[in-house]
Amino acid sequence: MKRLRELVGVALTGLFARKVRTALLLLGPTIGVAAIIAAVGLTDSAKGDLKRKVAELGTNLIEASAASAFGSQDPVLPEDAVERARTVTTVDSVSAVLELSNIVVTPYEEASEKFETVPVPVLAADVLLPGVLEVPLVSGRWLNDFDEQIGTRGAVIGIGLAREFEYLPGEVRSIVLNGHDYAVVGVLSAVELEPAFDNAVFISFQAADEDFVAADVMPNKLYVRAQDGTEDETAEALKVAVGLGGPTEVQTELKSEALELASQSDRQLQLIVVSMGLLAIIVGGIGIANVMSISVIQRSSEIGIRRALGHTRGTIALQFIFEAIVVGVLGGILGVGLGVLSIGVGVAIAGWVFTLQPVLVPAGIVLAVVISVLAGMYPAVRAARLEPLETLRLG
Amino acid sequence: MTHDHPPGSLGEIAPADAGGGPSPLLELDRVSRIYGTGEAMVTALDAVSLRIMPGDFLSIMGPSGSGKSTMLGLLGCLDLPTTGTIRVGGHEVTAMGDAERSWVRGREIGFVFQQFHLIPHLDARGNVETALLYRGLKVRQRREMALAALDRVGLAHRHDHRPVQLSGGEQQRVALARALVTEPKILLGDEPTGALDSKNAENVMSIFASLQSPERAVVLVTHDPSVGEAASRRVRMRDGAIVADEVVEREMAR
Repeated sequence: MKRLRELVGVALTGLFARKVRTALLLLGPTIGVAAIIAAVGLTDSAKGDLKRKVAELGTNLIEASAASAFGSQDPVLPEDAVERARTVTTVDSVSAVLELSNIVVTPYEEASEKFETVPVPVLAADVLLPGVLEVPLVSGRWLNDFDEQIGTRGAVIGIGLAREFEYLPGEVRSIVLNGHDYAVVGVLSAVELEPAFDNAVFISFQAADEDFVAADVMPNKLYVRAQDGTEDETAEALKVAVGLGGPTEVQTELKSEALELASQSDRQLQLIVVSMGLLAIIVGGIGIANVMSISVIQRSSEIGIRRALGHTRGTIALQFIFEAIVVGVLGGILGVGLGVLSIGVGVAIAGWVFTLQPVLVPAGIVLAVVISVLAGMYPAVRAARLEPLETLRLG
Repeated sequence: MTHDHPPGSLGEIAPADAGGGPSPLLELDRVSRIYGTGEAMVTALDAVSLRIMPGDFLSIMGPSGSGKSTMLGLLGCLDLPTTGTIRVGGHEVTAMGDAERSWVRGREIGFVFQQFHLIPHLDARGNVETALLYRGLKVRQRREMALAALDRVGLAHRHDHRPVQLSGGEQQRVALARALVTEPKILLGDEPTGALDSKNAENVMSIFASLQSPERAVVLVTHDPSVGEAASRRVRMRDGAIVADEVVEREMAR
């Protein structure tokens, strides 16, 4: 322990006494580590907002929809699809919708000509939908049990549609669905995982049954929240639970999959910049070997006198190795600092979200130490092999 | 010579043969040192035998090329002979590996060189402390021992000066402090006054003389007669061999 402290002390005083040389030694590991940290950090940060969004929205929202069998039009799920889905033990919550077709939505009757050309999706939805989507309402309220029982002509509109129709929060306003006046009771916030909902109109199943659907009204899509980490099994189980014995097949989709894919950092770009950083740190290591080799020659007299004072070859070698370790640790810390600073500047300029995998901090320092020690081995061995008699120039 | 050694830190090598008279501190037995091979072969030292006894104040003199530098390297365990054996305190140095030999060197021998060989980035105390490293000493012990050694050469007040801030004479006194701080049995000087003016040379020589004790030997290698003649035992060399080894009465030497 004392010996270790003595070696570190000798290394520190040796390095501190030759500041320019030490600065040159530090340059390599500092730039190398900074380059690697900055490369990984910047490529990660470029996708940082998407990564954060994925984390926020969760990856456990599953859409289970009726797939058309034998080319039948408008396939639907069984009437008890929600109950069937709930039998899957890893399911947290379920909501059902039915996408209605051939409905023209206009802000008021007279505008029908203009709005016929831009179809607005209309969905029958149950009372649970905002809860399952984990999306709040901007204003008003969601469809409730009363709407569902009575079939009131109340509608919730998506935030995009609200803007398009210039709907003011709290305004008493109706929209026209195929000539039926529906009161706007609420506006739903943006649904990041299902962007189509931003321009949609939601009404109750009962209202859909009364006004638009000739046959029995049945859902054609479920939104399911699975317990975290069980997404894939839950999706598989849902296909069976909901589709078993029914006329249609069920297909499932993880709503966050596309977003997750988009949030992946550009691996190839990252690989290229990290390779360049590695190259920089290797060149830096060669620099260390170079500067330290020259230093061994310059300090041959010091080495000779230390040998005369009883320091062994091993101790002399260790002295240089410890200088390399100190250079590696200092260079690593400086490199991490510089790298983080570069990411910060880059993020500030480009308007990204600061993202840095924490493991890179210790990894960067360890890499700098390893490279420095490898580079310091050759000069250390040379120093140990110096003959004291040759360096002391006896009279 | 009452200096407090921390237990086990500055251990001394026990003499191998305890019986009958004082045993030599350092012994060369038919030692030869040959440099190079074939045509370029040079015999720097030719079957030289020498016993250095406790209490010796010995000078080794001779013209350049006589083999004194080679002799110094061997006496200081910095070099190994081509043939023959060297014993320090009865232990055969020529049979030791580097680590053991370094250990003997660090504990039994103190060096003073013509060129001082102080480490430039360390202050006087740091230079003296370098001799005490890797011995399991506490920082404070090391510091106190170094200051005590500097005090013995009259430089305690300049302990925080670097070599460039010291005169030649002062640098050599720091080197002396560094050599004596480990309480070595053998003090080896290589032209210790060669780079000094006469006043400083006198000062350094008087310190050397004061360091001689019944347990310790002081050995000075020099071509300077005034240095050589200060010693009470004078060894003369020529062409790699000892040609004279005479003991002079102390009174006469002074």
